[in-house]
Amino acid sequence: MSGNPGAILEVRDLATQFDTLDGVVRAVDGVSFDLERGETLGIVGESGCGKSVTALSILRLIPPETGRIAAGSIRFEGEELTTLSEEAMKRLRGHRISMIFQEPMTSLNPVLTVGTQIAENVVRHMGVSKKAARERAREMLDLVRIADSKRRLDEYPHQLSGGMRQRVMIAMALSCDPQVLIADEPTTALDVTIQAQILDLMLDLKEKTGTAIVLITHDLGVVAETSRRVVVMYAGRKVEEAPVEALFDNPLHPYTRGLMRAIPRLDVDAEEGGRRPRLQEIPGMVPLLTRPIVGCAFAARCSLATERCRAEPPPVVDAGGGHTVACWEVTP
Amino acid sequence: MTAYIIRRLFAVIPVMAVVALFVFFLLRFAPGDPAAIIAGDDATSEAIAAVRAKLGLDRPVVEQFAVWVWGLAHGDLGVSIFSNLAVTRLIAQRLEPTLALTLSTLFVAVALAIPLGVLAAWKARKLVDRLAMGFAVLGFAMPVFVLAYVLIYFFAVRWQLLPVQGYVPIAEGLWPFAQSLILPSVALGVTYMALIARITRASMLEVLQQDYIRTANAKGLATDRVLLLHALKNAAVPIVTVIGIGIALLISGVVITETVFNIPGLGRLTVDAVLKRDYPIVQGLILVFAAVKVVVNLLIDISYAFLDPRIRY
Repeated sequence: MSGNPGAILEVRDLATQFDTLDGVVRAVDGVSFDLERGETLGIVGESGCGKSVTALSILRLIPPETGRIAAGSIRFEGEELTTLSEEAMKRLRGHRISMIFQEPMTSLNPVLTVGTQIAENVVRHMGVSKKAARERAREMLDLVRIADSKRRLDEYPHQLSGGMRQRVMIAMALSCDPQVLIADEPTTALDVTIQAQILDLMLDLKEKTGTAIVLITHDLGVVAETSRRVVVMYAGRKVEEAPVEALFDNPLHPYTRGLMRAIPRLDVDAEEGGRRPRLQEIPGMVPLLTRPIVGCAFAARCSLATERCRAEPPPVVDAGGGHTVACWEVTP
Repeated sequence: MTAYIIRRLFAVIPVMAVVALFVFFLLRFAPGDPAAIIAGDDATSEAIAAVRAKLGLDRPVVEQFAVWVWGLAHGDLGVSIFSNLAVTRLIAQRLEPTLALTLSTLFVAVALAIPLGVLAAWKARKLVDRLAMGFAVLGFAMPVFVLAYVLIYFFAVRWQLLPVQGYVPIAEGLWPFAQSLILPSVALGVTYMALIARITRASMLEVLQQDYIRTANAKGLATDRVLLLHALKNAAVPIVTVIGIGIALLISGVVITETVFNIPGLGRLTVDAVLKRDYPIVQGLILVFAAVKVVVNLLIDISYAFLDPRIRY
């Protein structure tokens, strides 16, 4: 098997599919990446590119009625997760791999107190008494900087603001000292100022606990501020992977370049009359995932695309320094 | 909360006043004459008029109403036309069997329905779900009296495990009391079980789609905790509402069950009183039923606040 001794999580050729009325949707189609101990890995891409499904696949939370992990391997500390029993997965979830979600408003149970929701995780995985778990919950609220933690334990989610609820989610996710935290768009639903606070908090806690983070976002700005390495996804596939500086300095894949051109920049000089250059959108639409894509998934929207791009899947080109790109036309 | 309860209790007064008004006048305008029944089939019209005068039924209806309401205000429901016994006493005597039957039926229905509904929602669209809901539909479609006679045939006549009919007061021993209630409460409970089970399934299915259930699963919680705490508590409000409606329906359902199983409760008292046009008893019973309904509604509204912390009165 693959041997990246530094990796705590190794995802190889992951394919996750869903059954829909229009046929099988290949939401994730052959994605591979490693997460190293204690690092922050960003996964970026637009809505529907398969980032959230990748996250749910790692925890095996794909609803079994409609979806499945069709192929590939997910290894956590060398242990294969795709074939692990459901009971063993349950012991892992919330304990060694935790997850926080995009919607803090709906991700907490409205009829249970904050204290109950954090403490039940601790009781479940640490095998401590309810009283000790409650004390742990209070500590966690202090850790995520919620003031007056003792009183907050007995409050319900609707009594908290969006930012506070996301802090509670983080407290819950970190309550059992997980090795991996998967954060699926953790700041998307929050105000910009709160976003910055939550990201700071996550990075700060990461320093303290050594938890590795997979940060899933559509926001390249968030990735730039937080991650060491970035995986760019498009239509269920990984198109580029690079250290964060390399990606921003020298994006190689035409899709990544397109994304970069679509970000408003303050450092570009204004043209005459004080107007900035128009942002460039990527022409065309994301391909339907119900039909197998033969060549490169981005070919239909790519200005560099050739016949070969449409006919054959692109090779992974190593640009050096951990920078790889899946493209026929790029020569590093 | 206390202020809310007091406010709601005061609101009971106009409701009961309207019920009293309607039941009194509807009965008077309905065909049938208790005086004619008492006087007998071949009584002369003079004899009937004499009986009517004796009962005070010859007075203007409004005057009769005023007399009745005056009594009500003093806690007096009047006197039975036929037995001359106080209506309050007649109702009090029949209350225990009906109360026991209603509560045990409710217990049977809820104890079967909630596990069935939760199971069906958890295994939605699978075989277990189909079987559970098939059973529920069958229960709902089965008339109480048919099921009652089937149960009597097997459990009482064939296997002789339980009494055929009759009621044993709780004072005569807990086991005979329970034995006498098993068949009637199962017969009556199956219909409500079906109703509650279907609502439980629907409500649970909706809740199981919610983000916080995904969160609970992402925490690796045991399935029973996810279903019975995280999901069921959120699904509870519609379930409790239907249980409340069930209590109201049960009161009318009791009339048939009490007849089939020969239980001397309020249902039997109602049927007998209506057939004989014993106005004071019918009026008294309907007021009692209405009061039960109002109180049950109040209890359900209060229970919402305990089930969902976002609801505040």
